[in-house]
Amino acid sequence: MTGRADETTPVNSHAKIPFGFLRLVEGPQTMGRGWPFWTGFAIVILLAFLAPTYFGIRPYRVNEFIVSGFLAASLSILWGYAGILSLGQAAFFGVGGYVFGIIGINLFDATGNTHLALAGGILAPTVFAAFVGAIMFFARLKGVYIAILMLVLSLLLETFMLQTADPEVYRIGEALLGGANGLRPASDIPSVAFGWGEAVAEINGRREGFYYFALTLLIVVYLALRMLLNSSFGYLLVAVREDPDRTETFGYDVRLIQLAVFCLSAALAGLAGSLDTARINRVDPELVFSVSANIMVVIWVAVGGRKDLTTAILGAITLEWLYLWLTTSGSPEYATLVMGGILVAAMLIAPEGVFVWIGNRLGRLFGRSRTPAAKAGEAHQ
Amino acid sequence: MDAFTQIFGFAFQYLDSAAYLILAALGLSIIFGMMGVINMAHGELMMIGAYITAFCMYGGIPAPIAILLAGVGAGIAGMILERLIIRHFYKQLLSSLVVTWGLSMFISQVFLIMFGPNMPSLPTPFSDIKILVGGEVGFALVGAEGFARVTGETGRMPPGVESFGIYRLVMFAVAVLMVVAVWLLLRKTEFGARARATMDNPTMANALGISTPRIYAYTFGLGSALAGIAGGLFALTSAITPYFGAAYTARAFITVVVGGAAGVINGLVASVAALGGVQTILSNLFSVYIGFVGMIAAAFLILLVMPTGISGYMEKLRGRSR
Repeated sequence: MTGRADETTPVNSHAKIPFGFLRLVEGPQTMGRGWPFWTGFAIVILLAFLAPTYFGIRPYRVNEFIVSGFLAASLSILWGYAGILSLGQAAFFGVGGYVFGIIGINLFDATGNTHLALAGGILAPTVFAAFVGAIMFFARLKGVYIAILMLVLSLLLETFMLQTADPEVYRIGEALLGGANGLRPASDIPSVAFGWGEAVAEINGRREGFYYFALTLLIVVYLALRMLLNSSFGYLLVAVREDPDRTETFGYDVRLIQLAVFCLSAALAGLAGSLDTARINRVDPELVFSVSANIMVVIWVAVGGRKDLTTAILGAITLEWLYLWLTTSGSPEYATLVMGGILVAAMLIAPEGVFVWIGNRLGRLFGRSRTPAAKAGEAHQ
Repeated sequence: MDAFTQIFGFAFQYLDSAAYLILAALGLSIIFGMMGVINMAHGELMMIGAYITAFCMYGGIPAPIAILLAGVGAGIAGMILERLIIRHFYKQLLSSLVVTWGLSMFISQVFLIMFGPNMPSLPTPFSDIKILVGGEVGFALVGAEGFARVTGETGRMPPGVESFGIYRLVMFAVAVLMVVAVWLLLRKTEFGARARATMDNPTMANALGISTPRIYAYTFGLGSALAGIAGGLFALTSAITPYFGAAYTARAFITVVVGGAAGVINGLVASVAALGGVQTILSNLFSVYIGFVGMIAAAFLILLVMPTGISGYMEKLRGRSR
């Protein structure tokens, strides 16, 4: 079977090979399809799972990259697919992280697991996003205004959390908000733990266990999002991005679609925030709400390639790796400088993203051309 | 504190916050109104202005000249940025937001690496002249000697008397002067006519022989120069750090958006009058934080009623009555 035949009769060709389920996770909205991509995907996953044992990577460091992957995915579906840029994506990350910590501190001793904390860490930002998003989208605010208002929102949260040092006033049960020092008592912030009674698996965020757990979760979320993006909902998102007026004319309520993807994106960011709080048992305002926290998310997604899930996640992981390497071998000042420079350079040279460019090259190598949906130019406002 | 002191204090704070908003937003509003580009590196251009002012004043150059030089330097820096980077993003609003954000990060890191985390602070001019209000003093403009006489041996103010620094009022006066100057430039000069033509209809302006790229570069330079002057003025009152500008960008943006792009100057003035008022009242009643939150809430409400900003709304009303 050749690549050409695959392209003209995709459904039949998949039905013949034993990987028919791939039909669900591939389509024009996501890059990569057919055996070359999935073979490469399998190899990368295999190598990633073997890495702690055979390649000596340190989970303490690498776990952070995987958490970034979730956050990058959350901005990619929002900005890349639905065309709604948020410069304050870390706000939802932070809300998720704080809520996970607060519930965890209060309930971990009683329940022994973090099911509720994790659920809260995902639900709280979703509800928050539903509230903020409803106002913004139903007022039909322009895209630029939404982008900046989200950043302002994040900075407001930072300013508020910075002045919560008073333990008498800012206390939720056992948890103290703790101002600039972050959520206290830090020693009581749990790691992720699943199970009931005796059979509880607690996963230390600094060890291999968390690495395997988070990596598996990232793969599951990644595949689920690919399914979603290639469903009719994914097509709607792209339709809203490319031409909101025409989508409206077809009878869809653009505002509801925007609100839905905004909430989904906040839920993913909240998941990332919860995992990050569990990973280092710490959350503080500067870490999650500051300008630098917010700009990093935009850098990963813009440099990797915002209009594709895979490239956005790859962007996050590689840039976090690069940032860590620059920080340890040089200094944090130079690392930040390089990140800013990379963003500007990428926007000028590869505006669609570095990995999209590489992906297109690889695609051509295997005789497949990129789908027009992702190639279409920007059509904001 | 009697009623007169209170009213004076309130008016003083109102002028202070209005000056702050006008200075921070004027350059940004010109760039946004003319080109539709939100320059997230605006605060960094102000920071460049502050550093130039600082270096000039360390070298013994008097403050007014140093601040003008800051304007020139920031203007040149802005034109270079426009030519190298920003002109590629004119039709892409969201991308221009992202790329200028990256620029702001880059520029502030360069300054951090070159000059370290902070600079020796500059003396505030006119700091020895104060306005005293209330008590048996009534209302008086006093120098250092008069101030010492009033405070007496205790070193403290007599009860009921408040003192206000005069530099804040100077800043307000300069802000008003700058607004008038920009208005004259846009309304009464040939450059202004060309710039407004480019803003209204770039294609037509180009067809009539106006070099729109050049107009864009000059306008961006003008906006940057205004940012540099504002940065120089602020440098005399606050600590000078590489992240100096970040505090201003969000406020400036909100002011500009509320003003709207339809009429750059009158929109800005109306927006500053409204937002400055909200901020002053709430900061007085509650806290500075509540004042800022209230300002954003007010901006949000105004945008809900008038999605194109105050000036866009006025234009619509005028169109309807015609």
